[in-house]
Amino acid sequence: WFSAFKGLVGNKKLTADDMAPVLEKMKENLILKNVAAEPADQICQSVAKKLDGKVISTFSRVNSEVKEAVRESLTQLLTPRRRVDILRDVAHAKSEDRPYVIVFCGVNGVGKSTNLAKITFWLNENGHKVLIAAGDTFRAGAVEQLRTHTKHLNALHPNSVQLYEQGYGKDAAELAKAAIAIAQERKIDVVLVDTAGRMQDNEPLMRALSKLIRMNKPDLTLFVGEALVGNEAVDQLVRFNQALADHTSPGEKPLLIDGMVLTKFDTIDDKVGAAISMTYITGQPIVFVGCGQTYKDLRNLNVSAVVNAILK
Amino acid sequence: MVLADLGRRIRNAIGKLGQATIINEEELDAMLKEVCTALIESDVHIRLVAQLKNNVKKEMNFDDMIGGVNKRRLIQKTVFQELLKLLDPGVSQFVPQKGKPNVIMFVGLQGSGKTTTCTKMAYYYQKKGWKTCLICADTFRAGAFDQLKQNATKARIPFYGSYSEMDPVVIAAEGVEKFKKDNFEIIIVDTSGRHKQEASLFEEMLQVSNAVNPNNVVFVMDASIGQACEAQARAFGETVDVGSVIITKLDSHAKGGGALSAVAVTKSPVIFIGTGEHIDDFEVFKPKSFVQKLLGMGDIAGLVDM
Ligand SMILES: Nc1nc2c(ncn2[C@@H]2O[C@H](COP(=O)(O)OP(=O)(O)OP(=O)(O)O)[C@@H](O)[C@H]2O)c(=O)[nH]1
Ligand SMILES: Nc1nc2c(ncn2[C@@H]2O[C@H](COP(=O)(O)OP(=O)(O)OP(=O)(O)O)[C@@H](O)[C@H]2O)c(=O)[nH]1
Ligand SMILES: [Mg+2]
Ligand SMILES: [Mg+2]
Repeated sequence: WFSAFKGLVGNKKLTADDMAPVLEKMKENLILKNVAAEPADQICQSVAKKLDGKVISTFSRVNSEVKEAVRESLTQLLTPRRRVDILRDVAHAKSEDRPYVIVFCGVNGVGKSTNLAKITFWLNENGHKVLIAAGDTFRAGAVEQLRTHTKHLNALHPNSVQLYEQGYGKDAAELAKAAIAIAQERKIDVVLVDTAGRMQDNEPLMRALSKLIRMNKPDLTLFVGEALVGNEAVDQLVRFNQALADHTSPGEKPLLIDGMVLTKFDTIDDKVGAAISMTYITGQPIVFVGCGQTYKDLRNLNVSAVVNAILK
Repeated sequence: MVLADLGRRIRNAIGKLGQATIINEEELDAMLKEVCTALIESDVHIRLVAQLKNNVKKEMNFDDMIGGVNKRRLIQKTVFQELLKLLDPGVSQFVPQKGKPNVIMFVGLQGSGKTTTCTKMAYYYQKKGWKTCLICADTFRAGAFDQLKQNATKARIPFYGSYSEMDPVVIAAEGVEKFKKDNFEIIIVDTSGRHKQEASLFEEMLQVSNAVNPNNVVFVMDASIGQACEAQARAFGETVDVGSVIITKLDSHAKGGGALSAVAVTKSPVIFIGTGEHIDDFEVFKPKSFVQKLLGMGDIAGLVDM
């Protein structure tokens, strides 16, 4: 799509008019790569602003100027301002003689439970014992799913994982609280709380999630989102954060989404745009990338690879 | 209503045309741009959007147009027909036959809602008096059989599956054979989630399909899916004989346009939509009356032979 830049004339100041068709093409490319429309538009506008009035000498400069500006803005977006270092924080919690708690949340079917299991495996590999709290007390088979994972994970690292469950129909917030107390008692390093999938506009379910988070004050709240998601990514994250903020009592510091797990990254080829949409909305880092269905399929985000896939 | 926001925006764009005194190419372009933006923001695949735009423009060749033609009506009609194409591939949909075994196999990406939707569909036919059953041919996902079993038990639907047999092809074949023998009419086979990038998973899907020889293959899509849908849907359609599409999770804010790409590339109609996690959050889908409603056919009625 960079052939579109041929329309620009060299040796002059770039104007909004010059850039309009080029930026239009650029936006189209971002959308083709599955960036949601709103962030795609915003990114193009910021690039336009940055390049407006810039003196361009030769034709080839134009190409590289624009490409660099986009690359820069995407890279900046994906590069966390704040690093989430779970292993360091687990060690810290341990020194305070308490378990480190992570809550997983997100809409239905995105991979919360599976990636919770992968993260358990990763913590086990790093020598930590994990208690899984079966906080999805709604979806059929949710408890058995985690029981199966616990069994498999213990086969890989004996006695490293325990499951806390109360079957179905119970209050997830109370369940998580009980799980944390047990982890404290048994000196288990980390508690991972699974939750039921919920649609962001389902009021009662969103309220229940904020209750769980308010009551248990996890060290980390991870939003799990799939790389397949399109424009809906924006609404999901806005509303999850909004629900968490709305139900904060006055004077209390709101506990919002601290980071994301980007799942099913193996299913999207070069359409990696959801990574952009999600970080654009939250300003929070993608802490893990899920790229398959086995315990080893967990990675860190490779920022330059994502940016290259988008600009390709 | 489902996809309602998209409908409203398209209606507005077309409505603006109605206010313009003369319609020229510029007017048409502005309208098309709005329609296309609405489609893109609903995740319709960008190539399909471009196609729609080109088709409408081709149809509306202003130079060739004879005087006296009612351009406004023609534009509305063309846009409507192109939209209908997105939702309705124009092939007749699968209809199960009473008194015979109808084997229906569910396929789709991981987590799209297959297992949940299987039960919904079984329940739907059971309520209508069909002899209905479920088979769990997912031996991969942790807890998959428990999930189907709990769903089926709650809805009192006979089911088949195994905790020990690891080969989904064997389970599927055994289950179908057993239920056929017992004169079941709607035999639904649930399979594991899979994606085109993992060839072995597609091979497995083909083997299950060959083993049970389904009368219909249902491709289940999540309404929130974006631009990746088209390539996945195409790959599923090229591997097994997809005949229907079900869009799930339309109770969310999602506009469901991404999932519509599945209709276009598999040439299969949407037959049901899922609108919640509960067993009766399930609706029959009729593309034509849907587009009619979507576009507020009060204004356009009579434009198209329905
Ligand atoms: N290809 C691929 N599949 C994944 C990945 N992560 C999860 N899955 C699959 O996605 C499906 C859904 O995963 P779950 O972990 O059950 O999702 P969930 O968010 O817990 O679902 P609910 O609890 O029902 O809302 C399963 O088939 C997983 O194997 C991934 O990174 N890549
Ligand atoms: N809100 C809502 N949730 C749904 C709908 N359909 C399915 N779900 C939820 O989506 C999640 C995944 O559904 P499953 O039926 O397990 O999906 P699947 O395709 O069988 O998943 P795999 O077998 O892992 O590939 C579950 O939490 C379901 O409750 C729907 O129409 N609306
Ligand atoms: Mg789960
Ligand atoms: Mg399933």
